[in-house]
Amino acid sequence: MNTRRLRRYVEDLLRGRRPRPFPADERQAAEVRAAIALRAARPGGGAPHEDFVAALHRRLATEFGTAAPSPATRPPTRRRVVQVASVAAAAAAVGGAGGAALDHALTGTGAGTDAGTGPGVTLRPNSGTWHTVAASTDLAEGTVLAFDAGTLNGFVERTGGRLSAVSGVCTHLGCRLRLNATATELDCPCHNAAFALGGELLRHQLPTAPAPLPHIAVREVDGAVQVFLP
Amino acid sequence: MTGPWVRDRHEVVRVAGREPSRIRGDTGTGEMPRLHLVGPDSYADWEAIYRDNVERVYRLMFRRVGNRSDAEDLTTEVFLAALGPLRTSASVGEVRAYLLTTARSVLAGHWRRTFGQQITTIDGDRFEDVLSEAPVNDAAAVRADRILAALPDRYRRILQLRFLEACTVKEAAEEMGITVGNAKVLQHRALREAAAVNERLAP
Repeated sequence: MNTRRLRRYVEDLLRGRRPRPFPADERQAAEVRAAIALRAARPGGGAPHEDFVAALHRRLATEFGTAAPSPATRPPTRRRVVQVASVAAAAAAVGGAGGAALDHALTGTGAGTDAGTGPGVTLRPNSGTWHTVAASTDLAEGTVLAFDAGTLNGFVERTGGRLSAVSGVCTHLGCRLRLNATATELDCPCHNAAFALGGELLRHQLPTAPAPLPHIAVREVDGAVQVFLP
Repeated sequence: MTGPWVRDRHEVVRVAGREPSRIRGDTGTGEMPRLHLVGPDSYADWEAIYRDNVERVYRLMFRRVGNRSDAEDLTTEVFLAALGPLRTSASVGEVRAYLLTTARSVLAGHWRRTFGQQITTIDGDRFEDVLSEAPVNDAAAVRADRILAALPDRYRRILQLRFLEACTVKEAAEEMGITVGNAKVLQHRALREAAAVNERLAP
């Protein structure tokens, strides 16, 4: 079965089509690697098409063309994602109908999101409630607080006037993360992985990069910082 | 497009230190390349960065995915991810180091999403070493030559015809005086052997 998919992958490479990935074992992965190595050496094959270079230039111009890009055109940053998460999760809690929008808003960026550099998905429990984890006064600008709500533990941060929260469990094997001495990153005691407070993977020593930390929806109501948990 | 592009060493240092979460990819080292490449040269604006590096990044990716669609997508991803944080003054060396780190991370994410394992990687710590391979496709050709040189004649011939000379299986079969069915079988066996050779070669 997978032998056929390997053949198709190679044939797609040879014909210049986008190849379709498949669950490859070690030997098949090696064949894919060899096929790429050989195909990439085809004379004249490695240069980008002018159309592509021009199209990407136009796209970048809309993103970065002005001296100070408006928030709407900036690529999704941690703060923007969190802002969306809070609003949509609140809608879900109130009306029960915002769930789909949340899912879309947070996973819709596709490609970049599950790379180690991208933001993680936001946890969206099927039935959740808002739990108070700190008083607003305890979370001044630039501070980070750990919380443990039984089902979940994590870290909530206020930066740039916005709240964000991430899971406090390493996405590799589930060890509990700890805030480093300068309160700038979350370190895993097990295999030396480190995550930013926004959940992005900073570094690791594993064969495969662990996923970024999931975000947890967070809001501030009546002087209380609350997270949305099962 | 003028304001943020002032050449200012302090700005470079500050940005490099302040934005570790964006600058670092999953390089395994976690270290932003240091400032040894800082020189008088810097880019005028994002367009200069793009024009100077788009072909390099594309070739870098093409060599590691072997097809145009994926190479275009990954090149797009690199520039979308890199140009935002780079919106300050930075030397050419800094910019390229950052592009390389981003490219490495983007490629790793691509293979993780598609195969769940790293099929190819971008090795080398210095942008100049890795990306200097790119403007000419020599590195890919050298690699292919080394693989092919280690194969029996008929294996080498079928792979040359199909991978390097863009023959269809029918054309390759005619060229070699064998049936299409035999050409397919020969190609499968040849690629398996090429994979074994490729794995033995140093990266």
